[in-house]
Amino acid sequence: MNLRRVLAVAHKEWREIVRDRIYFLLAFLLPVMLMLVFGYGMSQDVENVAFAVLDEDRTPMSRDYAHHFIDSRYFSYQGHLMSAKEADRLLADRKVRVVIVIGPSFERRILEGRGAEAQALIDGTFTTSARTIRAYVEAINAAASARVQVGYLTRKLGLSTDEAIQLLQPVKLEVRYLYNQEVRSIWAVAPSLMMLILILVPPLLMALSVVREKETGAIYNICASTITRAEFLAGKLLPIIGIAGANALILWGIAVWYFGAPFKGSAIFFVLATLTYVLCTTSLGLLISLLVKTQQAAMIISTVLSVIIAIQFSGFITPAASLQGGAWVVAHIFPALYYNDVVKGVFLKGVGFAVLWFDVAVFVLFACVVLVLCHALFRKRMRA
Amino acid sequence: MSTTRGRFGWLVIWLRQVGVLCGKELIQLTRDRALFIYTVYIFTANIFLAAGGATNELRDAVVRVRDLDRTQASRDLAYQFLPPYFRFAGGVDSERAALDLLDRGEAKVVVEIPEHFARALHDQRPARVQVLVDASQANTGFLASSYAERIAGRYGAVWAQRNVERAGGDPRLMPAIGNDIRVWYNPDLNEKWFNTISELLTMVTVACILLPAAAMIREKERGTIEQLLVSPLSAAQVMLSKVLSMMAVMLTGVAVAIFGIMRPVYHVPFIGSVPLFFLLTALYAFVNAGLGLAAATFARSSAQVGLVVLLMVMPVIMLSGTWTPLESMPPWLRELMGISPLRHFIDVAYGILLRGAGFDVLWDSVLAMAAIGAVLFAVGLWRFRRQFG
Repeated sequence: MNLRRVLAVAHKEWREIVRDRIYFLLAFLLPVMLMLVFGYGMSQDVENVAFAVLDEDRTPMSRDYAHHFIDSRYFSYQGHLMSAKEADRLLADRKVRVVIVIGPSFERRILEGRGAEAQALIDGTFTTSARTIRAYVEAINAAASARVQVGYLTRKLGLSTDEAIQLLQPVKLEVRYLYNQEVRSIWAVAPSLMMLILILVPPLLMALSVVREKETGAIYNICASTITRAEFLAGKLLPIIGIAGANALILWGIAVWYFGAPFKGSAIFFVLATLTYVLCTTSLGLLISLLVKTQQAAMIISTVLSVIIAIQFSGFITPAASLQGGAWVVAHIFPALYYNDVVKGVFLKGVGFAVLWFDVAVFVLFACVVLVLCHALFRKRMRA
Repeated sequence: MSTTRGRFGWLVIWLRQVGVLCGKELIQLTRDRALFIYTVYIFTANIFLAAGGATNELRDAVVRVRDLDRTQASRDLAYQFLPPYFRFAGGVDSERAALDLLDRGEAKVVVEIPEHFARALHDQRPARVQVLVDASQANTGFLASSYAERIAGRYGAVWAQRNVERAGGDPRLMPAIGNDIRVWYNPDLNEKWFNTISELLTMVTVACILLPAAAMIREKERGTIEQLLVSPLSAAQVMLSKVLSMMAVMLTGVAVAIFGIMRPVYHVPFIGSVPLFFLLTALYAFVNAGLGLAAATFARSSAQVGLVVLLMVMPVIMLSGTWTPLESMPPWLRELMGISPLRHFIDVAYGILLRGAGFDVLWDSVLAMAAIGAVLFAVGLWRFRRQFG
């Protein structure tokens, strides 16, 4: 490989990128804007859950029960309902996600020492948040139930409230959240956003580069020149990797300084891992660019592919451990999953090469395979 | 032809011209083989794979127990961490080893049972148990702790009964509030329904915005737009034909995905009205195509349009309420997402498919989509006329 010729191609690419001012600006602006919007928006915290109460008992105890939910910071009270029909309508219209139904003889049954029952209707359309909401409802109900029992014991046995609680809840669970003490999703999300954006933007920047020359016919200049295929591809890759690397640095800065995510690991290891990851995503774009004939196809294929990988197969939105069958295999082919482990590990856990060497090895292997494929697929002599 | 000379003759010609242009768009799409294969892929194999995709339920989370008590009582508690949520993977000797396992991701939860745990239970003193949870994935971290609470509560209930008896109360007379939780619209919280529908909406959104935008910019780049402009066709016809052909492709794709894969393979329900669903899907495709075309009028090259579209599409996909809950967003962002067509189409699609909602419930979403579409088309047409008029 002749370095001078590689640099010549890279220089020409760079010129083209810089001359298209809007494009150049967007190449830097886009990652930043996505990072900011997603950083604010992509929280997995389930809060402000809209709910309504259907209280058929209307007694002090039923009101007290409803207040357990009204006072919770996870729920947002939308009012009392008059009928079950109204509950149906509000749930169907997505105005509320939960309806708490308290039956007619709620207070009487509790005073008689029998079990009273409260119903919770949960909208299960959005399965992830529905599951969390179900856990909230269970916890609040358990607290309300415990309070009723404590009341019973203090009345019947003359115990103090603390004694009664001790009798009823002998096991005290103390939960410590590691790596993310406040279970704040921005800490967990901001590092993963680097994974997301670095697989969205660089492939798109890259995907258009070769196919554009094919469409305009400028590729024939290359075909007629003495430059080898490898030199040409390397020259094409270099400027985009440079831009993507700069993007990664900016994104890292936003994650750490703006969103306050902790960065516990080794910076040198992180730079190495990020550069190899960017090499993977950029080569993926190059491969698409070589496979298609039009810029339209290159654009949509690289965008959709990135979206699919980032959403379904990266472990970002849903944990990769639960993937099954074909999805599991696909997820383990693409580098996003491994980079998600890397950012989580380096940012939150502070682990380094000793634990994550395998992921970096995967990046190197992936990039090699894709680049060899690119080299094989790119022909200077076009089929007629 | 006599029909073309009637009162509405101009309309017939106008429509026929649009029809011919639509045909041209469709032919262009099928001729681009890579693009065509890809369009087929996103509505078939991709939907199929999306269902095998992950669940956010805690499943087989590895639990390690550091048992310093080593009594029957402490072992009983340890064995309560059962599938499907947890998988008990044995003991661990030191805190250091426990933290190391968590670091490597080889354990999700570590339960530490202190010395004198059993004695504390017998003496009615607080028996403390510490649980370390890997919360680097906030969602499952929360579920792990809440299921652990549930286990501790159930385990403690047996002792609580005994305590109450010893204190002279009758545990059978203790009141309790039972909790009957009913999950509607997806009673088993089957992730496959949610995943496939969300994936379908995502694909329709990306394709509907990007394909017309790219088709328009290609005509600009290659100069074929000039040919269209010197022909007796209006700007509205040129735009409309791109939109209509896109709508046809999307409706076919959605029909194939729903009736070819989602219903037969994953039994996704289709409770509401089929015609209403496809009518509103057509409207949604129309609105998105308008968005793509409006974006294309602002860009000069394919590269630019790609980035501009990505800038619009990604927030729309990620923040409209499918992959992340709307409730958790800051209020200003939630309000802002009101201008995202997907935000309204989510209500429509899930509403019709899972909740069986009709027009009486969905009218506000439909109105919002129509309004957004009208504005986008007006902007697109105005820019288009200004550039080429």
